[in-house]
Amino acid sequence: MDSIPTFNAEHLQSNMKTIYYSRTFLSIIGGVIAGIMGFTSLTGFIFYFLIMAITSVGLLAKAGFTVHSYFDSWNRVLLDGFLGGLMSFVLFWTFAYDLVHIF
Amino acid sequence: MAEDLVLDTAIRDWVLIPLSVVMVLIGILRHFVSKLMRSSQVPDAKIGSEFTFRSFRARRFYFSNEENGLLHVPKGQAPNPQAQMFSDPNMAMDMMKKNLSMIIPQTLTFAWVNFFFSGFVAAKIPFPLTQRFRSMLQNGIDLSTVDVSYVSSRSWYFLNLFGLRGLFSLILGEDNATDDTQRMMQMSGFGFDPTKSLGAEKDSLDIVQHDWALPKFEQRAEAVLRKVLS
Repeated sequence: MDSIPTFNAEHLQSNMKTIYYSRTFLSIIGGVIAGIMGFTSLTGFIFYFLIMAITSVGLLAKAGFTVHSYFDSWNRVLLDGFLGGLMSFVLFWTFAYDLVHIF
Repeated sequence: MAEDLVLDTAIRDWVLIPLSVVMVLIGILRHFVSKLMRSSQVPDAKIGSEFTFRSFRARRFYFSNEENGLLHVPKGQAPNPQAQMFSDPNMAMDMMKKNLSMIIPQTLTFAWVNFFFSGFVAAKIPFPLTQRFRSMLQNGIDLSTVDVSYVSSRSWYFLNLFGLRGLFSLILGEDNATDDTQRMMQMSGFGFDPTKSLGAEKDSLDIVQHDWALPKFEQRAEAVLRKVLS
């Protein structure tokens, strides 16, 4: 390897898309679970952080713990899609919580 | 929280669930409508594979030579970007169609929600919020005593509008209609710089490898004809 790592932009993009998908998917599923379990306020957000941490670990395991052969920085695996997932999480959390517990 | 409101289950059955389902369905419908209306992009054919090598070189020279090639824009002589953008009517048309396919369903759903569901307390978010969120979450209810975590139906519509983006990207694939807003912003943001885009086009034309689609086609045609005749 030379000193400057080079990346195939298309492959990098497809990897990031995979990350985005898995995060969105898990945040929706996690939102539904949190709603059904009846988590409120802080518990729910802690649950979201937990889910995202598990996702990160899962993605790392999938990448064989060699992040730099798939992504250009650690932040891609750990942080990308975090806020985008939060919106979906809150929506589905609210929805499931209302359906099960409020009415 | 002073006291809990008791919400009627009929509100769940006739407001909350239908509203969410309709939002999802309208998102899907919009995706397919905008897919229908999108003018078909010209497929990127393998450039020049139908020419012989000599005519390919000549054509490439015509486009990309340094003095008076078609794709060569002299420095400092770039035309007005606005005019350049409108000289491609297809692009403007495309943007307008996208715009329309965004705005019309949103206006319609908003009017629908307003007409049927105005004034309902439709949902309750499971975490407390400060008073500042009242105007955001209780749009359409003018009561200052209701706890802020109760959401009115109109605000539930807005929550859906923003929160369902992730779901759409899951079920419709990544190039769905909801992503078009971002692309549109990019496009209108920095106009059209002919030097840059034509330069990129020229560079990519320069590195195209010639690959003729019909090598030895005389021989092949002869073989086929012989087979037919015999």
